[in-house]
Amino acid sequence: MKKVMYLEFERCIGCRSCQAACRECGGHDSKERNYVEYVNFFENRQTYPMLCMQCKDPACARVCPANAIQITDDGVVLSAMEEKCIGCRNCTFGCPFGIPKFDFEENKMYKCDMCYDRTKHDIAPMCASVCPSDAIRFIDHDEMMELRRRRTQMNLIEGKKPSENDKWQYVPEFFGVYSD
Amino acid sequence: MKGLERSFYSKSSMYSFIVVLTLFFSMWIATGRFTHVDYMLFGYIVASFIFFIGMTVRLTSWAMRPATHEVIRRSLQNMKTRKRQKRNGKAILKTLVDNIILQKYIFKRGIYRGIQHWLIAWGCIGSFAITFGLTFGWMHFKLVDATTYQLVLMGVPTIKMHPEGLFALLMFEGLNITASMLLIGVIMALARRIKNHDLQVTQRAEFDLLPLYLLLAMTVTGLMLTVSYKLLGGWMHPQLQLLHQVTTVLFLVYFPFGKLFHLPIRPMAAAVPMNYQEKQGVDSKSCLGCGELYSNDDQIADVQAILGKQAFDFQTSDGHQLSDYCTACRRKIRVMSQLNMKSPFGNSIAPIQTNNGIHLPGFGRKRSDEFYEQALKEEK
Repeated sequence: MKKVMYLEFERCIGCRSCQAACRECGGHDSKERNYVEYVNFFENRQTYPMLCMQCKDPACARVCPANAIQITDDGVVLSAMEEKCIGCRNCTFGCPFGIPKFDFEENKMYKCDMCYDRTKHDIAPMCASVCPSDAIRFIDHDEMMELRRRRTQMNLIEGKKPSENDKWQYVPEFFGVYSD
Repeated sequence: MKGLERSFYSKSSMYSFIVVLTLFFSMWIATGRFTHVDYMLFGYIVASFIFFIGMTVRLTSWAMRPATHEVIRRSLQNMKTRKRQKRNGKAILKTLVDNIILQKYIFKRGIYRGIQHWLIAWGCIGSFAITFGLTFGWMHFKLVDATTYQLVLMGVPTIKMHPEGLFALLMFEGLNITASMLLIGVIMALARRIKNHDLQVTQRAEFDLLPLYLLLAMTVTGLMLTVSYKLLGGWMHPQLQLLHQVTTVLFLVYFPFGKLFHLPIRPMAAAVPMNYQEKQGVDSKSCLGCGELYSNDDQIADVQAILGKQAFDFQTSDGHQLSDYCTACRRKIRVMSQLNMKSPFGNSIAPIQTNNGIHLPGFGRKRSDEFYEQALKEEK
């Protein structure tokens, strides 16, 4: 897998195409695995798309007592294996980003797996392939780094110089704004 | 225990040793000090030992995982608490009946899948019971007189029966019944894997298909044995017997290391109603951010203990853990911190500042062209 997922939350227009696309995916049982939510509904109508980060050391897999959450060779964190998942929901509480969903009816957890059957062939996942405002994109790593660099530059141009201890405030992890 | 453990290479080797010793001891009792071991089954005996060792090794390393260990610890603690006895009993009984005997949750994933899984599961468990019973000599039959057989369990003579009665028929045809269940279930499963394109994308040959092929080979050769001696007058029986033995040995050796290993893990599902959710979908702990009910205190305590043991630091700026917030709030926390909107989440009274002066959202808000021109000039 040479490409990366790139999210720009401000670009989200709240159309929920990504969720519709996710539902369409075979094997998803017409249930979406991503989220589109309001940042702060009482202040503005800004929405954001939310997918799984595919952590290198996933907390969800670490808190699973049945060892049901597996990681592919490409590093994609999969949904809990249906045969092992005992339905305790530990993963939904352990995940720092609140990603895994739980189906009480069928007693199993399901989560975004970055459409690994598509992305391993460098095809964009369902959500990224339909996003009309490029809030979710599936791009080359180099392109992502370029977008990040440009954001840093724009911050500097505006005279917002980060000091030693708060660089992260100016360059959030893979996150860019001016990406025309 | 510590001293004993030190004399072994690892925990799993210690437990394997204990399991092997126990099996030998049970064999010693059941076969009358090894006087009537069935040497026709020697291959099966060796494979059964490998099966038990493999199971012990896998289960030991599984139980040593911090998450599993924590849940087992909590379950044992609850089992000892006198106040919770009623809840424990109910939880165990409910899991046993609903999840293990009837497997209701799989039927909810589809009736076809439910039937298929139930047939394979109970076919397997039944076959195991008979296979291990016979190979280790835990049970064998004795001829009392010309028309009476007696079942001998662990060397103790028990029920007497007529060799052509219903009970005897069920006993003698037991493996044929379970094999037929398995055959139907495996064919259903294979048909599903051939027909369903969604499954074909994600299935793995060595993980999802190999056990089915092994099961198919084992049941077909096993049923062929019956066909051979019932209908064909023992035609090719020794060769078929060897073939069946080879496939069964392969299956037994594969079992602890493949997909079918989920069998010994399933009973832990009892821990969910016992420790965490007495009634499914009913929560008691409220989220720090939005106040909505999302979990219960015991489970969050366990999750935090597991995360702590594995050095995950999910403390927020207000001194709480991320797992004290519900999933929706956690998603919000992530977005806010990426949008430079980080504030002590949950206890801020003023509305969260979206315009923090660091960077304005670009989407739908273009700056004047001068701004960009000047920026490019400066860059040059």
